[in-house]
Amino acid sequence: MKILKYLSLVLILSFVSTSCDDSLDINTNPLAATTADPNVVLPFVLAQYSNRHVTELGTRTMDVPQHFTACFNSPRQGSTSIFLTGNTWSMMYTQVLGNLLLVENDAAEAGPSSNNINAIAKILKANVFFELTSIWEDVPFTEALNAIDFPKPLFDKQEDVLRGAVDILDEAMALIDAIPADGVFDVTVGDIIYGGDMVNWRVYANSLKLRVLMVLKNKVDVSSQIAGTLAQPLMESNDQAALVLYSASPGGQNGYNQLVEAFFGISNEDQFVYAPSETLFNLLEGDPRFDMIIANPDAGTPIAMGMFANPGDPVIADNVIRDDLPHMLMMPAEISLYRAELAMESGDMTTANAQYKNGVALNVAWWGGNIPDAVETIPGDTQAAFVDGLAAPTLEDIYNQLYIESFIRPVVAWNTVRRTKTPSLDAVPGAIISTILKRYNYPPNEVASNSNTPVNLPTDTPMWFEN
Amino acid sequence: MKKLFLLASMMFFGIATMLAQRTVTGVISDSSGETLIGANVIAKGSAIGTITDIDGSFSLEVPEGAAMLVVSYTGYQTQEVDIANLSNVLITMLEGKILDEIVVTALGIEKQSRTLGYSVDQIDAEELNKARSANVVNALQGKVTGVTIGNTDGNLGGSSKILIRGATSLSGNNNPLWVVDGVPINNEQYVSNGTRISGNRDFGNGASIINSDDVATMSILKGAAATALYGSRAAAGAVIVTTKSGKGNKDGSVKVELNTSYRTDDLFITPRYQQQYGMGDFAKYDSSSIGFDWGPELLGQSVNSLPISGEPGVLQGYDDNGIKDFFRTGRTVINNLSISDGSEKMNYRLSLGALNQIGVLPGAELDRYNASLNVGLNHTSKLRTTFGLTFAKTNSIGTGATGANDPNIIGLGAFSSTMDPSLFDPWIDDAGNQINQAGPISNNYLWIRNENRNDREDTRMIANLGTQYKVTDDLTFSGRYGYDFDQDNRFFSNRKGTIQRLPGDYRIDNINSVQQNIDLIANYAKPDLTEKFGLNVIAGYNWNKRARSDEGYFGSNLSIPELFAPGNTEQTVPSRFFSERVLFGAYASADITYDNWATLTVTGRNDWSSTLPKENNSYFYPSVSLAVVLTDALNIKSDILNYAKFRASWANVGNDTDPYQLDQVFNPITTATGQYGLNVNFPFNGALAFSKQNTLAPENLLPEDQTSIELGAELDFFDYRLGLDVSVFNTQNNDQILALPIPQTTGFGFFLKNVGRVDNRGIEVSLDAVPVQTKNFTWNTGINFTAVRTEVVELAEDVDRVLQASAFGSVQVVAQEGSGFELFAIPFLRDSATNRPLINPNTGTRLAGEAQAMGSVLPDFTMGFVNSLDIGPVNLSFTVDWRSGGVMKSATVENLQNAGLVEETLQNREGTFIDTEGVIDNGDGTVRDNDVPLASAAAFWQSLDDNSISEASIFDASFVKLREVALSYTLPKRLFKGSFVRGLSVGIEGRNVALIWAKVPHVDPENNLFGAGADGFGVERSSVPSTRSIGVNLKATF
Repeated sequence: MKILKYLSLVLILSFVSTSCDDSLDINTNPLAATTADPNVVLPFVLAQYSNRHVTELGTRTMDVPQHFTACFNSPRQGSTSIFLTGNTWSMMYTQVLGNLLLVENDAAEAGPSSNNINAIAKILKANVFFELTSIWEDVPFTEALNAIDFPKPLFDKQEDVLRGAVDILDEAMALIDAIPADGVFDVTVGDIIYGGDMVNWRVYANSLKLRVLMVLKNKVDVSSQIAGTLAQPLMESNDQAALVLYSASPGGQNGYNQLVEAFFGISNEDQFVYAPSETLFNLLEGDPRFDMIIANPDAGTPIAMGMFANPGDPVIADNVIRDDLPHMLMMPAEISLYRAELAMESGDMTTANAQYKNGVALNVAWWGGNIPDAVETIPGDTQAAFVDGLAAPTLEDIYNQLYIESFIRPVVAWNTVRRTKTPSLDAVPGAIISTILKRYNYPPNEVASNSNTPVNLPTDTPMWFEN
Repeated sequence: MKKLFLLASMMFFGIATMLAQRTVTGVISDSSGETLIGANVIAKGSAIGTITDIDGSFSLEVPEGAAMLVVSYTGYQTQEVDIANLSNVLITMLEGKILDEIVVTALGIEKQSRTLGYSVDQIDAEELNKARSANVVNALQGKVTGVTIGNTDGNLGGSSKILIRGATSLSGNNNPLWVVDGVPINNEQYVSNGTRISGNRDFGNGASIINSDDVATMSILKGAAATALYGSRAAAGAVIVTTKSGKGNKDGSVKVELNTSYRTDDLFITPRYQQQYGMGDFAKYDSSSIGFDWGPELLGQSVNSLPISGEPGVLQGYDDNGIKDFFRTGRTVINNLSISDGSEKMNYRLSLGALNQIGVLPGAELDRYNASLNVGLNHTSKLRTTFGLTFAKTNSIGTGATGANDPNIIGLGAFSSTMDPSLFDPWIDDAGNQINQAGPISNNYLWIRNENRNDREDTRMIANLGTQYKVTDDLTFSGRYGYDFDQDNRFFSNRKGTIQRLPGDYRIDNINSVQQNIDLIANYAKPDLTEKFGLNVIAGYNWNKRARSDEGYFGSNLSIPELFAPGNTEQTVPSRFFSERVLFGAYASADITYDNWATLTVTGRNDWSSTLPKENNSYFYPSVSLAVVLTDALNIKSDILNYAKFRASWANVGNDTDPYQLDQVFNPITTATGQYGLNVNFPFNGALAFSKQNTLAPENLLPEDQTSIELGAELDFFDYRLGLDVSVFNTQNNDQILALPIPQTTGFGFFLKNVGRVDNRGIEVSLDAVPVQTKNFTWNTGINFTAVRTEVVELAEDVDRVLQASAFGSVQVVAQEGSGFELFAIPFLRDSATNRPLINPNTGTRLAGEAQAMGSVLPDFTMGFVNSLDIGPVNLSFTVDWRSGGVMKSATVENLQNAGLVEETLQNREGTFIDTEGVIDNGDGTVRDNDVPLASAAAFWQSLDDNSISEASIFDASFVKLREVALSYTLPKRLFKGSFVRGLSVGIEGRNVALIWAKVPHVDPENNLFGAGADGFGVERSSVPSTRSIGVNLKATF
């Protein structure tokens, strides 16, 4: 009997010990994947980039370039609150660039059949590095995105980042040019901007390159590169615009309007959340875009910077603040206006005038009905009459149109006013800085974990690219 | 010769007795009135004696001249009773000092406290149930050393957090292991609905379902040596709960006990609201300006539109801003009925408990029903089986949301001086539309409370099955299986028409968790191995498996308002979570006792964890402890020093990590996040989404390593009427497994690796005394003092701080190198010479400084003052709880001040306002008193949090509370003699009775945004107000 008991015990223990190894081998997450198709990674990158862009940079900082009078939790008075900058920084480096790097590496490994994927990843990467340096000036670029070799990436100078973005775009265009005739990876589903149309991507890449060069041009001579860019296809029509589309369907709605609905109620025109600045209001007076962008049924006067509207005050129209407002990464009007600016600087007033009118026409047409899911439209003859009636522009006129064109696109608008100094914007009431905000401070996580992070400068310190 | 003398003596006394005798009869009972069987009764100075019978009665023939009886009973104080002129006596025995207290240690092993080389605090059922709490964790407040208890707020079913000897883990593993009847149970707190920042819903910690009426003892194992046999899971200490087992009445009959409490709950703290000024801004009245009282002075003026109703009328103030018309009187009813019995063959205890609460928040209700059964069967003299089953069903409806960005939050800042909350009723019209709103963009509070749901249905079953076989007198084999099942179903909804959630939505979270545990133990106990040495050896094997599987569903944009079905929503977002882990352990311990005064204990355990890399998943940790009873060793017999024990221990333990941390994976994503919770969902434009994980997978991850040293002493003086227990400890935590924040510019936010060192040093002092002890009056008192200093000695290269919990409004809880767990926030910029806030000369407002650590979120020390006064049959007990030090940020206070709702904002209401505390930098190295006026007092208070400054709302979190009071009266037994009633006591009891002193104004300093699941003490925001609970209690024994 005793032997039986001991035997049972031995059997139990041996069973337990043999099953031990197998039982421990359960540390693989059944709800995660070890690889991912670009058709599912790119949508994450684009939607996450866009939604954070709209809700963080958009709803909070459109009063920095003074399109809006005030935004909630805005840094307009000079304090970027180191906590508030972290979300954008994190989104750009970890959610966008981190994923894009993996997409890019996989595509490079796959070879020419994935040139399209590789190029899309590179174009989006260039755009994000351009925006990073636009917001923070010096940012990690050459040592970024390589945790093993560079656990504490060095911060590159703004010029190097901008030039690096240009190089990336050149690489992307070269990849597109080398796409084989067939056997190409199908990215129709994952490319929620152009549905896999690489011709449009190449136009976008070259247009983005021009945008970057226009910033570089402010400080260094990049005329030959600009000339090269102008010689390549650039964005010319509104149907080439680089957009992330939102919809009226729940879960796919634009954050500008969702903020109004979540915290106030239906309709910006009824809730008075976003109001146009006096600068924007005055620039649009007499312009058919005024009624597209501003609602002013009581013929009120624009309120002061830093203030939120009350009933009777002009507000941003529901035609803009709507669920299906697209996120506008790039539109052709900006390119035409750059062409006008470049022509005027070179003394070619005819081209300047033509491109100026072309740029205005494109933007009027955009708000007048080309914008997806347009609510209000501007009749074609009204558009034509307005454009025809424009006087030959001064450089200031071109700059002002760039300012209007950049409406509701925070980084583009901020770059425009810092690059052109037009329109002239003063520090807002209560500001702790002497100018408009010129830069963000680095977020605390980077400061705490990367000893190479530069010392934060006062937020009215101009960036390198400003003259 | 001796025998002869004895015989002679007996003969002499026998003759003497025969000569003159009388009979004394009596009944002996304990302080509860329960009769004692087998108590010894001896006529003093004689050998004549007897024992009490089954009724506790005795009859003794004593010599005619006998004046005193000596009465003794194990566990009670021996007493002498005067019988000079009495023939019948009723004797009540008082419980005595138990010299060899038995305490429950790791694995449920009972040991004599004198043999322990480490500190164990044990609290018994009586102390636990003086004034029962709905959450058993709260019953420990003030009563044991070494623990810090954190409440969230007054939400029904809210969680409580227990920290033992401070926070030691940087990765959040600071929750102790809970073990009930030898079986580890789940004490997790699962946060629903996003984060704690945005509309947090707190549904309690797992251990809160423990019915305190079922608890016989709770042991708090604090040091690593005490918990070493539990392995890595108890690195943050362990709470060992032993439930009551079956035992009949002392006369052998079945024992039935009833314990019932009825209490009313009201607001513990009411902010000092002002009613001199009305709603509005810039001194102008605005009926929609709810919770913003910068309006006009109230002078009896009439207005066209009163708040809520919109009717014209006279503007008037409402006492306490009407909150007492909104928050109702809550009710807590606790009932417990148990039946137990025992015999040689078997024992059992069946207990039925009910907790029924109505919250102060309208619509909030909680019902919890417990049923538990403990059975013990002695199959033979060698084989015993035990079975325990606890079933708990908790249903709560309408509990509150806290935090921000959720329309369902109703904080103390939501009430205005001139708003009558009773006007919120009715809140809905016949067509289902919301009416009587607080304002154009504010919901009717009763709509929120009655139309939006925040419900939970939790089903919990904890079972254990144990068997014990005594092979020989010395050798025992035992096995124990435990099963802890939890099905936690949650439902939240916002009715269509709720402002901020106008399209309507609902969310379902179904959380399923199962924990299984097996222990196989062999025990060889030979107390008399030699004449001097005793030996007790244990060897065991442990298997533990934990699995959790969640299914969630979010639907929004409802078509039919109250139809919560997927087909009725325009948008659906499903979610799923799964996690599973296994741990194997082999352990052994040996107690070597010398001459019953010295005990050396050596333990070792090896764990194999599924969550660590295969090459590093095995880790061994040893402990050694020594206990020496000096008074016995040196044979000290003193009236002053009765008992002196010294103890010392050293232990080294390891710890694993969470599942699925080792691989680099892509996760399917359902939501792209945005600011303010403005998310978009996938499929987005028809496309699915995957993203790489944000944590860089580790290389060569090692188990965590904790080394702990503890020294202590237990001293008893003056016939055991004064006891002192002191422990000092030092814990060093190395190789913590931490998702270390790395530069996000690497493309990843974190890198999982072994880093850092956190040291904890502390002292615990427990002083017990019986200052007064007379026949009819006894005062027992105890003071528990704990001071723990946590120091983050090292993090990682170039890492100054690590985020522990993120709040909002620019506040974080961080572990900061060189200090501890700190509140990290933006202070005012101060002049270095005067330390006064620097003022912006352009605006007159304070400037913001650089974000910095603002102080520890953990207290400097805690102290409990526990008292029990017995005056005959009356007992008065009370506990005072003192927490000193630590800081907290109160967003509620920030809101109350910012919105001009409280008294301090009355200062300089008219005209301009100069911040006289501030100075202005003259630009030449000197400063001057601020002379730049602000437009108004409103401008001053509203500017205090400009630029995300938090300093103005960060307070010293110290407080002193009268935690609980209980007054009970035990009815004399004679009243129900002959009936089935054996004992009856009635009482008055209260919990959270009074806030005696605090530094933070307007709110309960214990309110906490973070619950049991995070290490986020120190932040409060829009808490559901905590409550004071006072009522009556009846205890009966049958």
